Amino acid sequence: MSFLKQLTRVRELPVFAALVIVMGLTSVAVPHFFSAKVAVDLFLGVSVIALLAIAQTFVIVMRHIDLSVGSTVGFAAFLIGDSYSKGFGLEVSMLLAIGLGVTVGAVNGFLVAYLKLPSLVVTLASLYIVRGIFNEFASGETIIESEVPPVVNWLGLNRLFGIPYLFIIGLAVLLIAGFVMKRVKAARDLYAIGSNPAAAELAGIPVARRVFFAFIATGALTGLAGALLLGRFNSANPNSGLGLELLVVAACVVGGVTIAGGAGSVFGAFFGALLLQGITLSIGALGIPQFWQQAVNGSLIIGAIALDRYLSSRVKTTTIMGSK
Amino acid sequence: MLQSSSSTSGNEPILRVAHVSKAFGGVRALVDASIDLYAGEIHALLGENGAGKSTLLKALAGVHQVDSGEITLNGVEFVQGSTRLAIEQGVAVIYQEPNLFPDLTLAENVFIGRQPTKGKFVDWENMQSEAKKLFDGLGIPLNPLAKARGLSIADQQIVEIAKALSTHAQVIVMDEPTAALSAKEVERLFEVARRLQAQNQAVVFVSHRLDEVFALCQRMTVMRDGATVGSKMIADTSEAEVIQMMVGREVSELFPKIDVETGESVLKVSNLSSAGSFEGISFEVKSGEILGVAGLVGSGRSEIMRAIFGVDGYDRGTVHLAGKAVPKKNPAKSMAMGMALVPEDRRQQGLFMPSSIARNASITVLKRLSSGLVLSRKKEEHTAKTWGEVLQLKFAKIADSVDKLSGGNQQKVVLAKWLATNPNLLIVDEPTRGIDVGTKSEVHRLLSQKAKEGMAIVMVSSELPEVLGMSDRVIVMREGRMVAHFERNDATPSAVIAAATGSGVKA
Amino acid sequence: MSKFHLTWDKGVGLFLVFTILLGTFSSEYFATTSNLTFIIRDVAEIAIIALGMAYLIIAGEIDLSVASMLSLSSATIGFLYRADIPFEAALVGGLIAGLLAGLFNGFLVTVLGLPSLAVTIATLALYRGMCWILLGNKPVNQLPQEWVNLGYSQIPGTFLPWTVIPVVILSAAAWFVLHGTRFGRWVFAIGVNAQAAEFSGIPVKRVKLALFAFTGLMSGVAGVIYTLRFASASPDGAVGYELGVIAAVLFGGVSIAGGIGTLWGVIAAVLSLGVIRSALQLIDFSANALLVVSGSLLLISVIAPQVTDYVRGQRQKASTTKRTNTKEGVQQ
Repeated sequence: MSFLKQLTRVRELPVFAALVIVMGLTSVAVPHFFSAKVAVDLFLGVSVIALLAIAQTFVIVMRHIDLSVGSTVGFAAFLIGDSYSKGFGLEVSMLLAIGLGVTVGAVNGFLVAYLKLPSLVVTLASLYIVRGIFNEFASGETIIESEVPPVVNWLGLNRLFGIPYLFIIGLAVLLIAGFVMKRVKAARDLYAIGSNPAAAELAGIPVARRVFFAFIATGALTGLAGALLLGRFNSANPNSGLGLELLVVAACVVGGVTIAGGAGSVFGAFFGALLLQGITLSIGALGIPQFWQQAVNGSLIIGAIALDRYLSSRVKTTTIMGSK
Repeated sequence: MLQSSSSTSGNEPILRVAHVSKAFGGVRALVDASIDLYAGEIHALLGENGAGKSTLLKALAGVHQVDSGEITLNGVEFVQGSTRLAIEQGVAVIYQEPNLFPDLTLAENVFIGRQPTKGKFVDWENMQSEAKKLFDGLGIPLNPLAKARGLSIADQQIVEIAKALSTHAQVIVMDEPTAALSAKEVERLFEVARRLQAQNQAVVFVSHRLDEVFALCQRMTVMRDGATVGSKMIADTSEAEVIQMMVGREVSELFPKIDVETGESVLKVSNLSSAGSFEGISFEVKSGEILGVAGLVGSGRSEIMRAIFGVDGYDRGTVHLAGKAVPKKNPAKSMAMGMALVPEDRRQQGLFMPSSIARNASITVLKRLSSGLVLSRKKEEHTAKTWGEVLQLKFAKIADSVDKLSGGNQQKVVLAKWLATNPNLLIVDEPTRGIDVGTKSEVHRLLSQKAKEGMAIVMVSSELPEVLGMSDRVIVMREGRMVAHFERNDATPSAVIAAATGSGVKA
Repeated sequence: MSKFHLTWDKGVGLFLVFTILLGTFSSEYFATTSNLTFIIRDVAEIAIIALGMAYLIIAGEIDLSVASMLSLSSATIGFLYRADIPFEAALVGGLIAGLLAGLFNGFLVTVLGLPSLAVTIATLALYRGMCWILLGNKPVNQLPQEWVNLGYSQIPGTFLPWTVIPVVILSAAAWFVLHGTRFGRWVFAIGVNAQAAEFSGIPVKRVKLALFAFTGLMSGVAGVIYTLRFASASPDGAVGYELGVIAAVLFGGVSIAGGIGTLWGVIAAVLSLGVIRSALQLIDFSANALLVVSGSLLLISVIAPQVTDYVRGQRQKASTTKRTNTKEGVQQ
C-alpha cells in the first residue's frame, strides 16, 4: 500500500485534519487569530479534558464507558487542596487523590468485570454516589488559592518555552499511554476484548482481569487529572468537574475512539479534546455568541458517529457467490 | 466398529476417540461415536445434519465434555471442557464462521495474547515477519498489516489456520470449510491442506461435498444418528457406498405422504436475484403442493426464502401470491396477503426465548385477538392452547417460557404461531432440524395434512430423506442458482446429491 | 421467565410503602397533605418522562437527551412568548419542540442506524445548545399569572396539585398501551429479540421511531410543567434530570437489557424516590444523601437480577445432571 493511501486509512486523520481546518479557516476569517496567546489558551484549556480523554480511551476500546470521571476528578481536586491545607504535604495529598481515583476505578471495575454489570449503569450510579460523598465531605466549602499546594499552583500558572506546564504534563502522559497501548501485551488485549468479546474468551484472554485493571487505570489517571484541575483553576468546590464526563466521551468519539470498541488510540482522544477546545476558541474569535458552543459540539459528535458508521459499513465481506 | 485399515503413517493414531456419547437434556447428540486420527493424513468426517459431527467436534475443541467414552491424544488422556486447554494440548478447530478480531491486524489476530516480545514489550516487526512466514508457509500471500475486517471468509480461514500452526497444533479440524467458498478458493484451501499434511499434521475435513472429499482425503469416517457407521480408506470405497452409509434407512416408511390433488398456482417467483446471494430464481407452487428445496448449507436457500417473505430485500425479479404482486421487504404485508415463514434459526429468528408459550404463539395474530385497541390476554392464551392441542404440544403451563420446552416442542410453537395466521403459503426452513424422531413424524404428518387442506408448502431441508419423502417436486440449489428440478419419482438420493454438490455420480 | 421481575415490581411497591412508613416516622411533617402535594409536584416531570424512557429501554434502546429536550421545550415556550406569540400557542410550540427533538433522535437511530447511547449523548449537547441559542443569557420570567398558578397551585378543594392530572392521565394511558394492546406486545417483543420480531412481521424500525418521538413528546410535556412550576423559561433548567429518570426506570424493574419491565413498577419507583427525597429534606439530611441513595438503588436494580439468575442457574444445573445421569436405551 502506498504511503499516502496508508495515511488516509489512519483513524486519527479526520480529527487531526478537522483541527487544522478549523484553526486555519478561523485564521483566515480573523486576522492574527492563531497567535501565541490563542495557542496558550488552547493548551491550557484542553489539559484536563485531554488527560481524562486518554483515560477514557482505556475503557471505550473495550466497549465500556466510565461516566463517573467528572465526579471523581472534582473530588480528587478538592481532596488535594483539603489535605494540603490540613498539613499533609504535597506527596501525600497527591497520593490520596490518586488513591481515590483507584478506589472508584476498582469498584467500577469489579462490578463490571466480575459481576458482569453493564458499565453504563454502574458508572452512572457511581457518578451519583461519588458526587454525593464528595458533597458531604466538602460540606459546601471551597478550596481557595492559599490552600492549593504551591507546586500545583506554580505548574498551573507557568510555562516552559511558552507552553503551559499543564499541557506538557498531558503530553507526557499521552506519550506514555500511547506507548503502553501499543507495546504492552495486556493493553493489546483491551482492543481484542472490544473488537470481538466472544472471540477474546475463546482465545484464552483473561477478560475479567483486563477489564478490572483497565478501570483502575482510568481511575488512577482521573485522580492525577484532579491535580491538573486544581492547578488550572486554582480552586475547587463541590461543583468541580460537574458535567465533564460528557465532554470527555465526546472528545473520544470525535477523536476516532469508536463506541463500538476495538479501535482508536489515545492520540485520537487527545486530538479530539484539542478539536473541541479549538472550536470553542474559534467560536469566540469569530464573534459567534458563546451560546452556539454546545450545539456545535453536539452536531460534531453526531457527525463523527455517523462518519464512523458509514466508513465501517462500506467494508463488505464476501458472500456466497464470491462477489465483494 | 472401525475397520482396521492400514494407516498411511503406519503408526498409532495421534488422536483416538473411542465410543463417546453425549446428551443435552433429553436429546442424545452422540450415542457411540469413534474416530482415529493419524498424523500426515487428511481425514474426512461425513454425515448428514444431525448425525452428531458438530457435537463431536465441539468435544475436541473443548467446548463440551463427553458423558462416556474416551478421548486420548498421543496415548495420554485428552483433557476436555476447556477451549484454552484444548489449544494447549494441540487441537485446533477452525469453524465454518471464523472468529477473528475485525479491528486488529492479521498478524495480531494470529498472535493475540502470545505476541513475540522484545524485552517485555510487543515486538511488532517480529510479529509481522513471523505472521508473514506462516502465511507464506501456507502458500497464501496475505498482508500481515491488513485489518481483519472485510476479509473474505476464505482468507479468514487462512488466518485461523496460521493461528493454529502458531500454537503448534497437531490436530487441525476444519468444520465445513468449503461451504462459503468459491471454486477457486476451494482449490486454494486444498493446497493449504496438503501442505499441512506434508508437515505431518492430522487434518480433519468435514464436508458434505463428496467430490471434494474424494479429491482431497485419504481416509473417511461416516456418522449417522450420533454413532459411527464405518471408517475406510478413501481408496477402498466409492461415492455410492458413502452415500449409502450416510443415508442408511429406508426412505418410504417414515413419512406419511398423502397424495393430494393440486389446485391453482399460489406462489410464483420469477427471476429473483440478489447480488452476492442468489441469481435468476424462478419457480411455482400450487395449492396442495409440497415443494422441496434441497441443496448444501450455504447454497442460498434461506436467503431466497427470506427475500420472498420480505425480511430481506432483493435486486431484481418478482414475487406473486395468488396472482397479486407481493411488495419487497415488507413482512407485515406478506403476512396480510397470506404468507408465512417458519425460519431456519428457531432460537434467534423464530422464538422469543424468555417469553411464554402463549405470547410466542399469539404474536402474529394480535390484531385478531384485540377488540379495537384492547388486547385480550384470555384470547392470547386461548389461541395458544387451541393450537397447542392441534399440534399435540407438550407443556406444563401455557405461561411457561419456551426455553423450557424441548426442541421439538419449540418448533411446534413456531408452527402454531404461523398456522394461526391461516396462510395460503407456508414456507418452512429446516422444519425438523434438531428434533427427535417422534416429533419429526408429527410435524410431517401435520404438513401433509395442511397440504391436503389446500395450503401450498415450500420446504427447505438439508435432510435428504425428509426432502425425498415429503415433496411432490424438488428443486435443487447450488451456489445461489437453481440447478435442478425433479418430479417426485425422479428424485433419488444420488440424483439430488449429485445436483447439490455438482459431482458426476449417477443413481 | 420474568418470575423474578414480577416479584421485583411488587417489591418496589412494597418498597414504596416502606419508604412512606419510614417518612412518617422520621418527621411529623411528612404525612401532611401539604407535603404530599409537594411530593407529587416534585416528581411530576420525572414521572412523565419516565413513561417514555420505560418504553424505550424495554424496546432495547435508551435516550440520554431527555433533560435537554425538556429544557428545549421550555426554551421554545419562552422564545415564542417573548416574540409576542400568545402563551397558549407558545405552550403548544413547546410540545412540538419536544416531539420534533424526539423524532430527530429516532431518525438518527432507526434511519441512519446510529447507536442510541452515543447519539443521544450528542443530542443532549445539541438540544441544550439550542436552548442557549434560543434564549441567550436571558431567561423569560414574565409568564401569564393564570398559567403559572396552574403549575404551582392545587385543584380547588383538594390538596392535589393541578399537575397530578397530566401525570395520572398519561400514566394510565401509557400503562394501558404497554400492557393491554398489540403495540405494547410489540415493544416487549422487540426488546426480547428484535430479529425474531422482524421475522414475525413487526415493523421494528417504525415502532422504535414512534417510541423516540413519544419520549420527546413526554419531555415536552414535562417541559411545559417545569416552566409553569418555576414560572420561568431558562436555558439551563433540568440539568442532570436524565439520571433521575433512568435511575427510576431501572429501579422500577425495567431491565437494561430490554424486554422486561412493568409501568406500575416504574411509577412506584418514581414515587419512592420522591418520598425518599422529601423525607431526607424534612429530617434535614443533606441532598447529598439522596444522590448516594439514588446511585445505590440504581446499582441494586442491576445487581439483584444477576444474583437471582446465578442462584437459579445453580439450582437448574443440579437438576439437569440428575436427569442426564439416568441412562435410557438407544432410541432408534
